[in-house]
Amino acid sequence: MKSGDGDEYAFMGIKRQIVAFGGGGFSMESGNPLLDDFVTGLTGLKKPRVCFLPTASGDADHYIVRYYNAFRDRAEASHISLFRREKGVENIRDHLLSQDLIYVGGGSVISMLGVWRAHGIDEILREAWERGIVLCGLSAGSLCWFDEGLTGYQDQSKRVLGLGFLPYSNMVHFEAGSKRHNVYEEELKAGLRPGYAAADGAALHFVDTEMVQVIASRPEARAYRLDLKGDRAKTTQIATRYLGSPDQIPLVADSSLPWSSSPLAA
Amino acid sequence: MGGHEFDRLDGNESICDHIIELTGKTAPKICLLPTASGDPEDQISRFRRSFGSRGCEVTDISLFRLGANPIDVSAHLLEQDAIYVGGGSMLNLVAIWKAHGIHELLEAALDQGILICGQSAGAMTWFEYGITSSSGLPAAATGLGMLEGSLCVHYHQDPQRRTRYMADVGAGMPSGYGADDQSAMLFVDGEMVEAMTFRSGAGIWRVEAEDGKGVETRLELVERFRETPAGQTPGSTVDDFRQLNDWRRRGGMLRGR
Repeated sequence: MKSGDGDEYAFMGIKRQIVAFGGGGFSMESGNPLLDDFVTGLTGLKKPRVCFLPTASGDADHYIVRYYNAFRDRAEASHISLFRREKGVENIRDHLLSQDLIYVGGGSVISMLGVWRAHGIDEILREAWERGIVLCGLSAGSLCWFDEGLTGYQDQSKRVLGLGFLPYSNMVHFEAGSKRHNVYEEELKAGLRPGYAAADGAALHFVDTEMVQVIASRPEARAYRLDLKGDRAKTTQIATRYLGSPDQIPLVADSSLPWSSSPLAA
Repeated sequence: MGGHEFDRLDGNESICDHIIELTGKTAPKICLLPTASGDPEDQISRFRRSFGSRGCEVTDISLFRLGANPIDVSAHLLEQDAIYVGGGSMLNLVAIWKAHGIHELLEAALDQGILICGQSAGAMTWFEYGITSSSGLPAAATGLGMLEGSLCVHYHQDPQRRTRYMADVGAGMPSGYGADDQSAMLFVDGEMVEAMTFRSGAGIWRVEAEDGKGVETRLELVERFRETPAGQTPGSTVDDFRQLNDWRRRGGMLRGR
């Protein structure tokens, strides 16, 4: 990590923003653009420059095609393939740093971080974040921003070190009361740092390193804060704003949580 | 292998036959690692067809889909007769294997006597260095170093690679081999014991430094040519497409979307 931890553009009023989806967006919710609308909206631009990083899928063709179908009309859309660099953009750093939004797809977070480090993408993303380029992603594209992520579908889960932009742990595709929920709580007791879990359709919005709101593309989707209280793990449901009816904010709240009453205007 | 595709073009079929022969079994278990190109379904079904139609027990490990399809990678790899490493990006291959610890499993597989083969990035990765186009133009990349020296694949098929390789060896890169598509070398306990060609015109060159330049010496190769059976058209045909779909289905990869 860099010294000073990257707030060097703060004096210019630049905010570092990350939106971490538990799951959703064009990858998982075809026909429901609410989360994708939200992240493009954060750029404040009518037609933002959006670059897709499909690394975690092995740059799967069908995924890249679905991205362009979803973003072609709403953005100046591009993607970077790290498996076929001989055909892609020439200067990856310049390209990424000229974006308004960088969108990271799902797949294998371990493979993705390995490839990113080999190509120096991890450093470029940190620079992009510090410059105020909005970062977002689902699944592997959520886990990567945190200090540590708990990977896995189904019942298995494994701790993986992320890029460490956000000083928390993270779990995606979360279901309260599931076996993986139990795994998360056990890992907290074993020393994993506290963090956030989001269900499919829910997303965590961070400004700088503070979680400022949870937004959702489905009325029932929720996100949770996981802490350790003494020697017991504690899971708290976080107030959620359903993007399909923006008047109803927040939906469910634990009033002890500082962010429950102060959702950011998007 | 300096280059090998799972199709019927000159030499590619003989390479499959020879790999099976090296296992010493008629129906060996062979597992594909398509990591270097991001586990694409096309490569997987072509592999399944090539080796499956020869009676092998074919599987693949897609490290990009382990989340959705969890298997015991170590146990699966170590029960194989042969492991085939596909081509793609050498830089990504090494990075992903190290992230998952696959390189250690492969060393264990080698120690256990499992035949390991690979083409392109999947061949260079065993050496100390290779010449990859992972970042665009051909450039030197570090491999796992299980074999001494360096390797440059697609030697005359990609002339920019050859130029780069000769310059790099001249400038101090450990000496090694330049291998054409459809040529291969067999290493036993780290020693090269046989260099072979499966297509007339495909060669292998020893490349060493002399006065700051790379100098080539052509190797004597064992010729393992085989005629394409009469009446079979190599390449893509309707039959080809049907067969591939069939192997894709058997691999459980055709999902209703």
